[in-house]
Amino acid sequence: MHLLPKFDFYEAYDMGEACKVLAEMKSEGKIIAGGTDIMVNMKKGLLSPKCLISLARIPGLSGIEPTSGGIAIGSNLIVSKLLEFDLIRKKYNLLSKAASVLGSPLIRNRATIGGNIVTARPAADLPPPLMAMGARVVLKSKGKERELALDDFLVGPGQTKIKSTEILVSIIVDEPPPFTGGDYIKLMHRNALEIAIVAVAVQITLDGPDGSIKNARVILSSVAPKAIHAVSAEKVLIGEKPTEKLFKKAAALASTDCTPITDIRGGAQYRCAMVETLTHRALSAALRQIKGK
Amino acid sequence: MKEFAIINTRLPKVDAWAKATGDARYTDDLSMPNMLYGALLQSPLAHARIKSIDISRAKRLPGVKDVITAKEAGLIKYGVSPARYDETVFCDQKVRYIGDEIAAVAAIDLETALEAVSLIEVEYEELPILLDPFEAMKEGVIAIHDEFPNNICAEVHQEFGNVEEAFKECDYIRTDKFVNKKQDGAFIEPQSCIAFYDLNGNLTLTTSTQTVHYVQRTVAMVLGLPVGKVRVTKPCVGGGFGPKASANTIELASSILSMRTGRPVKMTFTREQVFQHSRARHQFWHELTTGVKKDGSLIALKNTCHMDGGAYSSFGIATVYYGGSLLGAPYKLPNMKYDGYRMYTNKPANGAQRGHGGVVARAAWEQQLDVIAEELGMDPLEMRLKNMMKRGDTTCNDFNMSSFGMEECLEAIRDGSGWKKKKGKLPKGKGIGVACGFFVSGAGFPIYRSETFHSTAMIKLSEDGGTINLYTAAADIGQGSDTILTMMAAEAIGVRYEDVRVLSGDTDFGVDLGAYSSRQTLMSGHAVKQAGEDVRDQVLEVLSRNFKIPVEDMDIKKGLIIFKKKKPDFSVLRSTYIKEHRGWVDPPVGDELTFKEAARVAYFEKGVVVGRGSYKPGDLGGKYKGAAVGTSPAYGCSAQVVEVTVDMETGKVTIDDMTDAHDCGFAINPTNIEGQMQGSLSMGVGEALFEEIKFDDKGRVVNPTLGEYRIPTALDMPNVNTIIIESNEPNGPWGAKEVGEGAIMPTIPAILNAIYDATGVRVRELPVTSERLFTLMKEQEKK
Ligand SMILES: Cc1cc2nc3c(=O)[nH]c(=O)nc-3n(C[C@H](O)[C@H](O)[C@H](O)COP(=O)(O)OP(=O)(O)OC[C@H]3O[C@@H](n4cnc5c(N)ncnc54)[C@H](O)[C@@H]3O)c2cc1C
Repeated sequence: MHLLPKFDFYEAYDMGEACKVLAEMKSEGKIIAGGTDIMVNMKKGLLSPKCLISLARIPGLSGIEPTSGGIAIGSNLIVSKLLEFDLIRKKYNLLSKAASVLGSPLIRNRATIGGNIVTARPAADLPPPLMAMGARVVLKSKGKERELALDDFLVGPGQTKIKSTEILVSIIVDEPPPFTGGDYIKLMHRNALEIAIVAVAVQITLDGPDGSIKNARVILSSVAPKAIHAVSAEKVLIGEKPTEKLFKKAAALASTDCTPITDIRGGAQYRCAMVETLTHRALSAALRQIKGK
Repeated sequence: MKEFAIINTRLPKVDAWAKATGDARYTDDLSMPNMLYGALLQSPLAHARIKSIDISRAKRLPGVKDVITAKEAGLIKYGVSPARYDETVFCDQKVRYIGDEIAAVAAIDLETALEAVSLIEVEYEELPILLDPFEAMKEGVIAIHDEFPNNICAEVHQEFGNVEEAFKECDYIRTDKFVNKKQDGAFIEPQSCIAFYDLNGNLTLTTSTQTVHYVQRTVAMVLGLPVGKVRVTKPCVGGGFGPKASANTIELASSILSMRTGRPVKMTFTREQVFQHSRARHQFWHELTTGVKKDGSLIALKNTCHMDGGAYSSFGIATVYYGGSLLGAPYKLPNMKYDGYRMYTNKPANGAQRGHGGVVARAAWEQQLDVIAEELGMDPLEMRLKNMMKRGDTTCNDFNMSSFGMEECLEAIRDGSGWKKKKGKLPKGKGIGVACGFFVSGAGFPIYRSETFHSTAMIKLSEDGGTINLYTAAADIGQGSDTILTMMAAEAIGVRYEDVRVLSGDTDFGVDLGAYSSRQTLMSGHAVKQAGEDVRDQVLEVLSRNFKIPVEDMDIKKGLIIFKKKKPDFSVLRSTYIKEHRGWVDPPVGDELTFKEAARVAYFEKGVVVGRGSYKPGDLGGKYKGAAVGTSPAYGCSAQVVEVTVDMETGKVTIDDMTDAHDCGFAINPTNIEGQMQGSLSMGVGEALFEEIKFDDKGRVVNPTLGEYRIPTALDMPNVNTIIIESNEPNGPWGAKEVGEGAIMPTIPAILNAIYDATGVRVRELPVTSERLFTLMKEQEKK
């Protein structure tokens, strides 16, 4: 039987207050956003923070703001909003695609983008597309602020570079340059409420309408302790013309870039095979998007 | 066809408003003043001897009111079939699976109860663990129950006709193996109960059960109470599917704790405990050998089945019989041999689940028939039609098909799915498959041998005549029996649906064996119909005396008395009624005499107007050993066509379309029938594609959550084309028979046959995960 341990609940009214309380609590305080991860872990007895500090009342944390070259997504934005905003659906469609397969409508209405990143599950749905788009995270603590590439922020299962006094305030994503396309594909047992067996996010940019690949990011999820770059696949893509043959080659390389384990969701061998299939599909879809098909 | 006022219409369920608004109350929503909370200590080991139990620290914890073990609860054995009572409330010498119950605590709150449980100290001596039933059968291994040295809990050997001789006449014979995985019922409401033993020695047990009657008997027996002192009642129940069809440990433990403390005690399972208690579908290994003639006629079937029973018998004795007997139909099959074995293992006990014992056998055989049809160059649907039994046929194991709309079912799905246009013509990766199935409409005997009525019903009129109270112990567990029994009562009397108030699921209201083996529509329905007709006759007889009009010249329709000839003058009666009820809001009006007034007249004459009904099946044939498992007053049947898309590069199966026809005899409420069909299909999809309880090598369930034990979501189900076939069952009330379980039978094999059509791969192990299918497709490529 899992019962929630006792804890204090602090509802901060602005960032300054939240940072201050968090600093005062030393490592005994924890941020709660949607609570869909932290409450589960507390019930399981994996965590028992003395105090939960809620971000719900802090203004400006749940929106999307334009920046010079893209957007800043508030960390407390709930996942279902990523499906609603036209801007995300049209320009950052990998992200809305990933959001659409996260949990169920109930979960999406509570779960936040910030929670999904900080919780750092190996199979979390939002980090792969964000990494494929080269996202950065902004962290705030009492009197300090720093910015980090999401690639560097995520360390391993449940582990990130966040300090116990820091709050993730926003995620910065550059607007995809011209001739860019991407996709996120999640292989699931059933069609909702699933942790990915394997997921792949891809973003490629061409140097012209019929040009060569200028930039490529291929992110593999659920096949390593955290979402990873398929390094050799990315390398083989850059500088080449996007052909079926090239995509096949890149996909095959991607499956050698990961070392999945066998667990209750799937076998290692199957996962490798699926990395290849999904990478190939995601690359093809990305190219179709560039070509406007 | 006869016209009906109430039945055969799509009236909304009686509890639709409560369910839709969230107002419906389930056991865990309830509480009582002064109530204690109970918690269980369960074994962390799959097989061990208990050397000692120390409850002293737990007892000393402030807030703890009682701690009980086998010493306090006693060692009376209980179970499902009296032939295999092999459980005690708590383990005494031994624990036999992870989750086996050792002690229970009652405390002022759940936190305290759980803390107390953690303070109980048990010393174990670990024993070898048997998780594989084939290992468990081997010579020289440890016995899980001393009485069963080779761990065979039950075996069945039956032969009808002569299979070996018959094989000699066959043109084509093939053998195939098939295996499923252990299932969970995955009902949304975990088991929960509140026991209260009052100062007069009456125990009231409010519980989430399918069968108040069986729970009452078990509780009375184990606690040593007179049956009449035990009342078992159920509020709303959030599904059962089989595992809630017998008494469980928390029902017994909370009752004992309440007797000892004098306070109400609530206990509720966590989801993990639901998985540990289990009692759901067994794992079956079938080996089937079928022989046919060149023209496709089925001649003989040899069926060998091994079942992983888990640590206790539960419903397993019936299951091991059903694993054979349910292949006796729907096809004409003159020769059938069955050898079934159920083994004890150190896992949660398996029991009954929707389609009891027959679902896996059916999946195995219907797939094999598809293979045979292909080998013979026949259309699999046409081959099924060719062999189909007809109304009045009796199977080789003595099941009489008193009604049987199977041909109609097959034709309906063939035409409804566009089978002829699609079969053999779909592109690679797309497939279509067909299968059939049938199921009992209630077991011919109760689970204990007895001459008892299977259902009784009582209808009592209110003194003002305006309300008709229907009392039944039948259990509405979400399937809608309250609704159809209300409809039946209203129809039988001739009153309006809204005039009948149903009170159900309570042993105080009568005897009813409950919601299992798809029996309530037929059996409870008979009792209710009879009680309704009794009320109707009583009221009309009183009127007849009052008005000097023969009963035959009157009728009751829509709550009004119909005088077929001359309408008598009832003005005095009406003005008296209105005078008596001065100030009331609903005086009788209109040109006709109302049932309300008529019932009031009956009340004046009789004091209490009570209609009575009771039902038990007559002699159902079958004199051989085990004939009681499978013989039924009626059999429902169904056929399905499923269309799938297989992602050839990942192995993922998408169900695109399902066409399902079910012969329910007569649809009391077509919407309810469709609901059962849809629910059965969804459960079948889950078992075919996702569901599997997984264990580690210590016998621990590694996926005891609905996150990692996957039942289909709305996004995994296609729209289902449901076709209702009515065959007018002579043994059913108004011709009605089952739909609750039979509808699941064809689902798994129809999916498997469609997968084959799409991929050329036969899958003989469930579930068909994308990984399993992908791997098989790769193997096929290599060949
Ligand atoms: C039934 C169910 C299904 C799920 N399905 C999926 C799925 O399909 N895909 C998927 O990826 N995830 C899934 N999840 C996991 C979870 O819903 C997501 O990870 C979600 O995005 C977490 O967000 P949250 O706001 O609920 O986080 P919380 O639980 O509130 O927080 C999670 C962690 O992040 C920290 N945190 C949150 N916000 C901040 C911040 N701004 N600054 C610093 N620290 C912060 C918290 O302290 C905590 O450690 C599922 C969960 C459940 C219960």
